[in-house]
Amino acid sequence: MRLHRIKPWILLFPALLFLLLPAYGLWSAASASVSSTDGITFLHYRELLTSERFLHSLWFSVRTAWTASMASIIIGILITRSFARYLTEILPRLAVWLPMLFPHLVFGYIVILLFSETGLLYELLSTLCFIGGADQFPILTRDDYGVGIILTYIGKEVPFVILMLYPVYQALPQFYFDVVKTLGGGRYQQFKTVEWPQISTVVMETFIILFAFTLTAYEVPAMLGTNFPEMVSVLSYDWFYSGSFEDRPLAFSAMVMTSFLLFLLSLSSYLYVNRKRMRALRGRL
Amino acid sequence: MRPKLYFRLITALFFIFPIVLLLLQSITTPWRTREGINIQLESFTVLWSDPNLWTATVWSIIIGAVVLLFNLFIGLTAGKALAFYSFKGRSLIEALLLSPLLIPLLAVAIGLHLFMIRLDLADTWLGVALVHLVPTVPYTIKIFHHAYSQIGRPLLEQAENLGASVSHQFFTVELPLLKNAIRSVTFLTIVISLSQYAITAIIGGGSVITMPMIFFPFLNSANPPLMAALSIWFAVPPLVMYIAVEALLSLAPYSPTFWRNRT
Repeated sequence: MRLHRIKPWILLFPALLFLLLPAYGLWSAASASVSSTDGITFLHYRELLTSERFLHSLWFSVRTAWTASMASIIIGILITRSFARYLTEILPRLAVWLPMLFPHLVFGYIVILLFSETGLLYELLSTLCFIGGADQFPILTRDDYGVGIILTYIGKEVPFVILMLYPVYQALPQFYFDVVKTLGGGRYQQFKTVEWPQISTVVMETFIILFAFTLTAYEVPAMLGTNFPEMVSVLSYDWFYSGSFEDRPLAFSAMVMTSFLLFLLSLSSYLYVNRKRMRALRGRL
Repeated sequence: MRPKLYFRLITALFFIFPIVLLLLQSITTPWRTREGINIQLESFTVLWSDPNLWTATVWSIIIGAVVLLFNLFIGLTAGKALAFYSFKGRSLIEALLLSPLLIPLLAVAIGLHLFMIRLDLADTWLGVALVHLVPTVPYTIKIFHHAYSQIGRPLLEQAENLGASVSHQFFTVELPLLKNAIRSVTFLTIVISLSQYAITAIIGGGSVITMPMIFFPFLNSANPPLMAALSIWFAVPPLVMYIAVEALLSLAPYSPTFWRNRT
């Protein structure tokens, strides 16, 4: 009996040991962000919050990441719910997940190849005489609105959303849909009463994973973003590697502040999901 | 019949077309309609003649393999614990094990930088492999948790009741049933490891050369066929890894192999 009680902890030991890595990393970043020659200071945070460059960058990052994750989730749901039955076969499934074989950097390059000012779309439009010169083609990569970044993330993350949602849709009993149909419900009713309650938890989890990733990943914005406004990750990376030693604490505090925002977001959505679950348990939906 | 057509169109357009485009660009001259498009294979010869490419490819595979080994060990144990045992604080542990995905990787990497210097792990491939665990392990644990739940307890209890030792049970019952999960984990870890530029640059300090490290210098060359060839080349480490894992799995019991007829 005793052994049975400690056995899961023995099995979990390597995983808990692994958790020390991100935990220590975050802790040491946090302590570096408040340290100075004479004790603890919040000076770096004050500097950040009054820095036009940082606030602009944070707002731009949140907007870009939000749009990219939201679009990926919506497209992913639409594709999964329309085509779940074809995905049971192995070949279509492999086709849908093909983009997952390539890293984000490669997808960034595909977007450049397609949408840059000398890309395929421009060549196509100018050959077909829809546009006259290069000045009539919109700037879609390295643009001020993060369009290139968003396109890259959508191309890469939609397969991920399908991967997360497909098992849930596959497990939905067919007769649920028959009930909605018998009662005269349309497509919207079907989605609202049958699908959404089942998928909402996974959708929420997927959204937060995507949002956290797109908000703070460095590679794609470094490739497809501009210098101003820049994503918060690019800014922090520059601060970390800039020659001057005074900028380094700013990199730490910017990253810690972003982590804190993400923590608040995940906590509130966790509480929201849990509250819904509790209400469902008590029979009040 | 029509929805199937839509499905094929959408799949072809959004998921297959981008990759085909890359393949085509890697074997043709840059697409300028006024000059015409010719087939060339120079991009690959230029790519392969770059010594950095081979160093980067080999190191990417080595680091990927080490990351995969760590992932398998951590994922198999934790997945089993989460699937078969109920204990105090279970849901908290589950949330904690997923949480590394929600922390900015950059924050972890710059935080760990000093720690790695102290342990002499900065600028080494092992340090890079360790930091690559952070974005991969949460997914691996999730996959193995799910896979063990699907196997179910009774099957393992049966092996136990028949007197199988832990290792015997693992190799004859668990491993054959976990093959698909292991394949997914292989792909996921190597692709995620191959995606990391920033954290590899910070912990590797520029002396650990992996494929993302040569991607940006190549990007500056502004040569589309060469870039497309390099992009296609990014599929090589996952394929190498997949073949290696598949070969190892074929040694496991209950694998249909052509040289052995044990079923």
